Amino acid sequence: MLTRLLVYFAYFLKSSPRYQKTKRFFYSLLEDPGSRLKPYFDVSMIAVVILSVLLLIYEIGNAQANISEWYERGVVSLFVIEYLLRLWLCSDNHKIILAHYEEADYLNIRFRLSKVIGILVTKKLEYISSPLAIIDLLAILPSYRELRVLRLFVIFRLFKLFRYLNSIKLFAEILSSKRFELYTLAIFLGFLIFIGSTALYFFENPSNGGQVSSLFDAFYLSVVTLATVGYGDIAPHTVGGRLVAMVLIFTGLSFIAFFTSIIVSAFSDKMQDMQVNRIYAELGRYRNYIIICGFGRVGQHIARQLEKDRQHFVVIDSDAAKVQDAKRHNYLAIHDDASRNDVLINAGLNNKATAILCTTGDDVINVYITLTSRHLNKDIRILSRANNEENVKKLYQVGATHVIQPFEIAGMVAAQYVGQPVAFEAIVGIISEEKRFIMETVCVHDDSFIIGQAVNDIDFAQRKLILVGVISTNPVHCKHKNRYQVKNQHFYFNPEKYFRLQAGDLLVVLGRKFGIDHFRSQVEISRLKLSRKS
Amino acid sequence: MKRIAIFGYSRMAVETIHRLSESEYQLMFIGGDAAEVGLVAGLGVDSRLVDFRNDDDLRAIGIGIDIDILFCFFPKDSDNVFLTISARALSDSLTIIATVDDPESAEKLLAAGANKIIDPYEICGRKTYAMLTRPDITSIMDETVFGRHDLNIAQIEILAGSRLENTSFSELKSIRKHNVILVGVVDRELGDELHLAVGEKEHKLDAGDVLVVMGSSKDILAFKEDVGSVCVETSDVIG
Repeated sequence: MLTRLLVYFAYFLKSSPRYQKTKRFFYSLLEDPGSRLKPYFDVSMIAVVILSVLLLIYEIGNAQANISEWYERGVVSLFVIEYLLRLWLCSDNHKIILAHYEEADYLNIRFRLSKVIGILVTKKLEYISSPLAIIDLLAILPSYRELRVLRLFVIFRLFKLFRYLNSIKLFAEILSSKRFELYTLAIFLGFLIFIGSTALYFFENPSNGGQVSSLFDAFYLSVVTLATVGYGDIAPHTVGGRLVAMVLIFTGLSFIAFFTSIIVSAFSDKMQDMQVNRIYAELGRYRNYIIICGFGRVGQHIARQLEKDRQHFVVIDSDAAKVQDAKRHNYLAIHDDASRNDVLINAGLNNKATAILCTTGDDVINVYITLTSRHLNKDIRILSRANNEENVKKLYQVGATHVIQPFEIAGMVAAQYVGQPVAFEAIVGIISEEKRFIMETVCVHDDSFIIGQAVNDIDFAQRKLILVGVISTNPVHCKHKNRYQVKNQHFYFNPEKYFRLQAGDLLVVLGRKFGIDHFRSQVEISRLKLSRKS
Repeated sequence: MKRIAIFGYSRMAVETIHRLSESEYQLMFIGGDAAEVGLVAGLGVDSRLVDFRNDDDLRAIGIGIDIDILFCFFPKDSDNVFLTISARALSDSLTIIATVDDPESAEKLLAAGANKIIDPYEICGRKTYAMLTRPDITSIMDETVFGRHDLNIAQIEILAGSRLENTSFSELKSIRKHNVILVGVVDRELGDELHLAVGEKEHKLDAGDVLVVMGSSKDILAFKEDVGSVCVETSDVIG
């Protein structure tokens, strides 16, 4: 009965949009590094923690104020709620239950509830025993005023800042990454202190004319000497003690140098990751962006155009010099191999990237990046460069949306310039938006004033626009002449006067940008007005 | 028939050779080594092995004499600059079209006397960007004007004595009956800039002005016959 109830409840949670939405919200608030909410939450918690610690410190020599007591209660409640939320988020219980239930059902074996509960509890205990969760728990304890010794745990509130400050997290990661070296150093230090303390206790014993009367004093003196601090409250007086102190000072200097070099090298190793993480964080803030693979001449030109249009993009190149060049232009640039799955996934190929441009000078690499991108994302637009004509088909085969051949286009341009320089300059200028006038599409939406109208009734000349044609998939138009098949749709060039526009048609108009924008806005406004009336 | 000399073997040179109709132009390829010359000769083009550094050799192939257009397609910008300087010194009226590898060399080539610089990387970048931002328009243009369909952009120069001479631009609106679109006009009185066919001020058409029209080759020819223009050139622009 209990099993059925539990499974039913797990299915209920799985199918509940409200539950999923709530969990997603708290995940983005507390855990998701790419979330917009998390930074606000982190900053608020840092302020709360610092203020609570300051109040606890103030109370040490002063009577507790009423307001601080209320503040403390509020802080503890907040910490408890946060702790419980993190505990809830650390694993999806209903998913674990359902996975085991469905497995048992499929294999026709008995579903063992006790085993599943054991797994659930283990998962939660794993989280509870993690260093950050322990710090969270200990940060709540100073509020238990009956045991004043627990006030010492106020320090854990400061440790709690680990959660909210990325730089502290990074430092902890660096220490963690060099733990083998640091363990070795700690063992060496332990031996050194042990030998030094023993030697100092032996030589500096009061019976030998020294000041070290206990083993703790010897330990203290050896640590102070090793650290090259030298307070002077206890000093070696015997020849043996001074010799030991000299050895400890030199060894201490080497130890500090060794420790510093470990930390510096760890930081320099981590620098690349830090920079890449910063880029990922920056990308996470954008609504959408474009990935440019290869920052050669073509990639540079596209980047310039995108920057001019204030569109977001990220450059990926395996050439360090090109990445440096991109960074000099203040572009987001990742030094990595764009054909690797993890690089593209981290760059947001399955997330906010709307298109990927393969612009390297090597067709083999472009094919590989195209293949990887299409494999990872079935829908993303892939524009790829082909330097050799024979590779165009291969690029389409592996999933490119469009293939661009620089030398073919340039050859066409060169040949065209010979016969028709004016026409050539006009069309190239219009297409590349270099001229004062441009060619753009305006969509014929449902409920807009142009729907069902004949093109002659829309006075394009009065709007200072030229109607070049209509792009449509609507079979109603098939009777019209000047029809050109373009992929899965038709382009009706210079449509006749009685050509009636249908929903979904795209008008190809030529004119000044603001003229086209004005016409487009008129279409949109009419659409809104008509929908309001209905 | 215009005579064209193409210097330097590259994919761009081959593409240009393919695009230039042999019925309209007399092509000559000049290579730096026998292998290049052999490859282009295989395409049926008059190919010669000439040292472009030698002015006498340049004169011998017709530079400064009967060559109208010269393409500089050497992979090295320095070679193209040297050839441009040499050719310009031999002829002021020669049309020199040069390719550029490093964008900084473009200014040097123009200073050396080139009429038009073609940067394949820049063109590719523009094309990719256009495809990215305006896929509808770019696809349509690729498939029609630049592609397999018979839809062309053509320029029509108004010659002295043409029926269009001394008419106003607005009178051309009757163009619609020819199923061609008038894109714009280059009014030489105002410079070499193309003016859009709508929304611009009135232009009086004179000899030397150029109309830019769009349509099928048959319709463009019909328009030409109607307006009585002497010189019409149509082609699948960039395609």
